[in-house]
Amino acid sequence: MNSKSLIRIALGVYLIIFFSYLLGPLVVMSLTAFNSSGFPSVSPWACFTYEWFNVLWNDSAIREGIFYSVIIGLGTVALSVSMGLAASIVLTQVWAKFRSTYYTLIIAPILVPGVVLGISTLVFWDRFGKFLGAGDGSMLSNLFHNGIFLTILGQSSFIASYAMLVFVARLQRFDPGLTEAALDLGATHTQAFRKILLPFMRPAIASASVLAFLASFENYNTTTFTIVDYKTLTTVLAQKVRLGINPSISALAFIIITLTVFAALAFEAYRRNQARQEAVKQGKAKVKSGGILPSFMTGNPAAIVFVLLAFVAIVMIGTAQKYSPEQCKIQVREAKQAEIQRRIKELQEQRLIKSQSEARQGPDIFGAPEEDTGGKPSGAFGGVFAPGNLSDDGDTQEPEAEKPSGGSGAFGGVFAPTNLDNGEGN
Amino acid sequence: MKKKMIFSEFFRNNGVVMGSLLMGLVGFWLIFLVILPQLSMLDYSFRFNLPPSEVGGPKDVYTLSNYQHLIYGSDKTHQTYNTVDLMVFVRTIIAAMAVTIFNIFLCYPLAYFLGQSKGSGFVRLLVVLLIIPYWINEILRAFALRIIFGDSGLLNEALMFLHLTKEPIDFIRQDIALYAGLGYAYILLMLFPMYNVIESLDRNQIEAARDMGASWPRIHRRIVIPHAKPGIVSGATMVFMLSAGALAAPQILGGPSSLWFTQLVYQWFFNSLNWHQGAAYAIVLLVSTIIIVLTVMRIFKVNMGDIGK
Repeated sequence: MNSKSLIRIALGVYLIIFFSYLLGPLVVMSLTAFNSSGFPSVSPWACFTYEWFNVLWNDSAIREGIFYSVIIGLGTVALSVSMGLAASIVLTQVWAKFRSTYYTLIIAPILVPGVVLGISTLVFWDRFGKFLGAGDGSMLSNLFHNGIFLTILGQSSFIASYAMLVFVARLQRFDPGLTEAALDLGATHTQAFRKILLPFMRPAIASASVLAFLASFENYNTTTFTIVDYKTLTTVLAQKVRLGINPSISALAFIIITLTVFAALAFEAYRRNQARQEAVKQGKAKVKSGGILPSFMTGNPAAIVFVLLAFVAIVMIGTAQKYSPEQCKIQVREAKQAEIQRRIKELQEQRLIKSQSEARQGPDIFGAPEEDTGGKPSGAFGGVFAPGNLSDDGDTQEPEAEKPSGGSGAFGGVFAPTNLDNGEGN
Repeated sequence: MKKKMIFSEFFRNNGVVMGSLLMGLVGFWLIFLVILPQLSMLDYSFRFNLPPSEVGGPKDVYTLSNYQHLIYGSDKTHQTYNTVDLMVFVRTIIAAMAVTIFNIFLCYPLAYFLGQSKGSGFVRLLVVLLIIPYWINEILRAFALRIIFGDSGLLNEALMFLHLTKEPIDFIRQDIALYAGLGYAYILLMLFPMYNVIESLDRNQIEAARDMGASWPRIHRRIVIPHAKPGIVSGATMVFMLSAGALAAPQILGGPSSLWFTQLVYQWFFNSLNWHQGAAYAIVLLVSTIIIVLTVMRIFKVNMGDIGK
């Protein structure tokens, strides 16, 4: 009994650790979307704000990226789903000895690193164009160097394998006798495919399409090589994240996470509803009626959560129109100002004490310019604490106010004595 | 002769229209999207990087120089080794293996728990929670970790608040963020194959073993793990290949001084504009990872057919 409860506790702790590793970063990232601080962070919480959603909305690069991502996604779905379906049908008919080789061939693209797929697509179509004798600037050559065309092909090469896996699972339950019966009754092969196999595969085609679209939408490794001079959402994001980050990316992440949560809940609610109706049909469960909840929500926690979250989202969007964090921002700015003033005062006092002791010891212990740097003589940021640097630094937004925002070189002028005289901070 | 018979049978079974449509689609995929691109990349990697006017001319001959560059660097006499690139390569492979092993240990208990307690609402909730991060963009996931591991990130703030450290720890430079990010990025590809095989294990087998007095470690060693082996190996294969070939996580979370092998490939393509050299590096990555995966599969006696189930 005792060891059993011990196992339970260990399991609980383990589940908490696992799920906080999995979901914690996403929660933190979502929160940073609402912090007014210019660097995505939660810990020095400044103001609750919606402004990053505005920044995101006005970002034309991201909108353009989404547009091309959707086009490429649709192309990839069309190509990879049809190739995956064909490959899975062939798999059921292929000569038994050849089957494992064939399976290895069609599963291999999943395992090939995306970088390799991207490079090989790029290289191959470049040479294929030359092989066909397409000169520079001709239509064929333009097509083979077109980022959208190459990306669709590059992504389809491995997404088709994912689609194939979905189809294989469904095909295992297909009764080939149905097709044979149709053929015996005089249907052509094409008719039999269209009227028998295709309707049977429809759920699998739907889920493979969703899978393919999402896989295409979030692909980076292959796309970054094949996209050439276009941009997709992922390449835009990668560029932004590498060059310097700001919370508008968190805002985008928050939107994507919200959509994912809604989609997952809607799907779960739909499935439970289906299962329930099935149970009612078979007489295993009774139709409960007369409750407070509408019928589609009874016995369906996912549906209830879905409706509640939708309500919260609507309220949030409603308040976002009116809410303004200006008052709070001014307060934060004032607090920061006070903090800076306090620091300056501290440093001035330190300097005063120091210069007094120096006056006693004589001037040649410290070099003339260095003595201005106050308490931190040698660090890289040494000179920036000098009061002149901050004197007219009215609206410092970043928490890293310590960085020298002016000056010509990296830390160029900050050690120069003149810097202090005329107070040239910005 | 035999081949012809197979084809004619195929067309008899599917009809001419459907048969050629199926053949055409599969053929286009395998030949034009998989086999020929790989072959042309292989060919490309054995050639000199020539200006466009000299391509196809007398200087356009096969060479090993692109591969030699990985081993010896730009040294023509082959006295010194290209330690920088070789170290990056070794580090990539070893780190990818470490990430894979870490993921196996982290996922196994959860996969066992989910697989063996079927049907309850709590488990369904957990599975839905698991799927959500799966659909968040790889770059956004790396970005999320960067917020946490950054210099003034949440983790450092928390450590300093608890007085565990005085100075912020540079997780990025020490590559802790990178390893955490790689483990994070592909953890679900380890979990789901494991979960699927453990779910198919008959619970009676475990009950029987317990009735006979077997201890928990023994039950796992003799019953659960042998049954789950195909799932574990297939998950491990995917995690290893994907983390060795990862590009986004090292670019976003990697320290400024340490590189991932894919980043070298990226640099050859976009910074040095030497596609031939980049293709050679990509081939090295592809071949070595495939050899490692096949060796591991041979050791654990798992077939290719188990992958992707």
